[in-house]
Amino acid sequence: MEYILQQSINALGWGSVMALLGAGYTMTFGIIGLVNFAHGEVLMAGAIAAYIAMSVLGLPFWVGVIASVAGSVAIGLIIERVCFKPVRNVGMITLFIVSLGASIILRNLSILTLGDQLKPFLVPDFFAGVFTFGNLYIFKKNIIIFSLTVIIGVTLATFVRKTKFGVAMRSVSYDSSLSQAMGINTEKIIVFTFILSSILCGIAAVFWGLLYGYVSSSIGVEVVVAAFIASVVGGIGNINGAIASGYILGIGGALFVAFLPPDLVGLRPLFLWLVFFLILFLKPSGLFRANIK
Amino acid sequence: MNNLKNHIRTKRASLLGIVIILVATMYFIDGYVSGFWKTLLMLFGINVIFAVSLNITNSWINFFSIGHGGIILAGIYFAAFFTLPPGFKNGIVHLHLPEYVLNTQWTLLPALLVGSLFGALVAVLLAFPALRLKSFYFCAGSLGFAIIVTNIAENIRSITNGPAGLWQFPAYTSIWWVWGIAAAIVYLILMLKKSAFGRALIAIGRDQDLAEHMGINLLKYKIIAFALSGFIATCGGILWVHLIRTVSPSTFGLTFMFDIVAMMVIGGMGSISGAVIGAGVITFFLEVLAPIEEGFTLFGLQIPPFLGFTTILLGILFIIVLIRKPEGIMGEKELSITAISRFLKKLIEDFGRSQ
Repeated sequence: MEYILQQSINALGWGSVMALLGAGYTMTFGIIGLVNFAHGEVLMAGAIAAYIAMSVLGLPFWVGVIASVAGSVAIGLIIERVCFKPVRNVGMITLFIVSLGASIILRNLSILTLGDQLKPFLVPDFFAGVFTFGNLYIFKKNIIIFSLTVIIGVTLATFVRKTKFGVAMRSVSYDSSLSQAMGINTEKIIVFTFILSSILCGIAAVFWGLLYGYVSSSIGVEVVVAAFIASVVGGIGNINGAIASGYILGIGGALFVAFLPPDLVGLRPLFLWLVFFLILFLKPSGLFRANIK
Repeated sequence: MNNLKNHIRTKRASLLGIVIILVATMYFIDGYVSGFWKTLLMLFGINVIFAVSLNITNSWINFFSIGHGGIILAGIYFAAFFTLPPGFKNGIVHLHLPEYVLNTQWTLLPALLVGSLFGALVAVLLAFPALRLKSFYFCAGSLGFAIIVTNIAENIRSITNGPAGLWQFPAYTSIWWVWGIAAAIVYLILMLKKSAFGRALIAIGRDQDLAEHMGINLLKYKIIAFALSGFIATCGGILWVHLIRTVSPSTFGLTFMFDIVAMMVIGGMGSISGAVIGAGVITFFLEVLAPIEEGFTLFGLQIPPFLGFTTILLGILFIIVLIRKPEGIMGEKELSITAISRFLKKLIEDFGRSQ
């Protein structure tokens, strides 16, 4: 029991990264039906920007956070303008393979310019430290990341539910042409949604760096699948659902690995796909009711 | 009646002509082309096989699979158990296989058949998600399938030798094998496209529910389509591995699938001749630009290596094609002798009129 609890607490950090990514993913998924394979590359851009700001230029941590968010937003917007806008109405498969192409281009560009080695991410002293709680060890950074993610999630949910912009977002995702007829500037809403999801990516990139102490050009591939599955499990377009299922996947994955025989630990990615197929076969609408669409 | 007989006679004659030209070309390549260009031409043939196989699932029955890499990988490993030299299986890597398999070494043809049948079986596994999942959910599911297969191949070390992969494959592949099989497959699939079976598959792709109402057994046709596609793809894979002579689980990852999808999309989805053209364009593109990736000297100037450079260019080309000309070079049309001769006749007539 203690072992399970310990593993779950350790997985909170990774779960938070997935939750944030899943929330961003589910927003763009809901609004233009985009299965964005380049979402991981947006995270990578943020992480690389933070690395450059902090480790190369030696700027303080808060500048790194801003750089990360700015980098993510820049790349997210460029992808949206250049790649997705021209093919927005062609069909989901085309959007998907375009995003696949964009992801491959960005990843290889990053490897081309900066190399594929692990890049150190400076973790401020504030995040170091361990609390002991009986026999449990709780990393301070896990707790901070978890509580920040919860705050962000609640803010986001309130924003989408209460503000005028949020209502407009929901209406565009429900029926884009109808909401245009109602006088909503759909173009603006779509761009705004991309900015929002990129900001979440930027924050998740900082969390990733804090958790693992390194970033690299290929972190995008590792997380994008997890984010996609989190958004499917949570129900497409459902932000709270995506955040919750991010944690479910994170903790579930940690427990899955914990109970695997030691020589099969490499099978870790199987868990995500197992959940994916189970959910799609048994409950295709996701665990939580899709509240937008 | 006479007209029909004439038509059939011209068709047969042109087919014979194509076969003769093909054999002559192969003879020429086998005798007079060597090194880089020969490998390039063989890779072209193999890529034709890949692109054609992908056409069946991704375009005909319209289940966009990016998981064929998993099928190919499974088939290759299965065939590899039989064609690897016993010294390698027993001595260098110690695979835990049955006694008979360890001490045997087959020639290409039986290995090709057995491996491809195994690939077809694995492809049937991929067909099961296709019975349930729609459009891009299947797309993502097929990606998951490929990742699962890769993951398993990396982790059962006693059978697959883990991430290091296998090497010391015998160099079985020759231009005769590759082009012969590729030409046979292209011809058969072209015939299949015109048959009732092929039309049923295309009907499923256009509208699955309508096809079912017309009395097409979805379960049967989808499974056969996937098995056929898997068989062909694995065929290409086994030829590939006996040309390159080394394989590891990560070889057939997303980048590989992206190349094949690019061939299909640039050539034109649904068109077999488009797949051939696309395979030609992309193979040439990738292989000719490959030296740039490794770095070279130009007029005494050292150009540093650009890793992943061709992939970036291919990605940009691919996105431009998708945005500007989503139907690709051929669209859904096929090149045929009659169409070409009609086109030429029209050209000559136009030319005569303008004189």
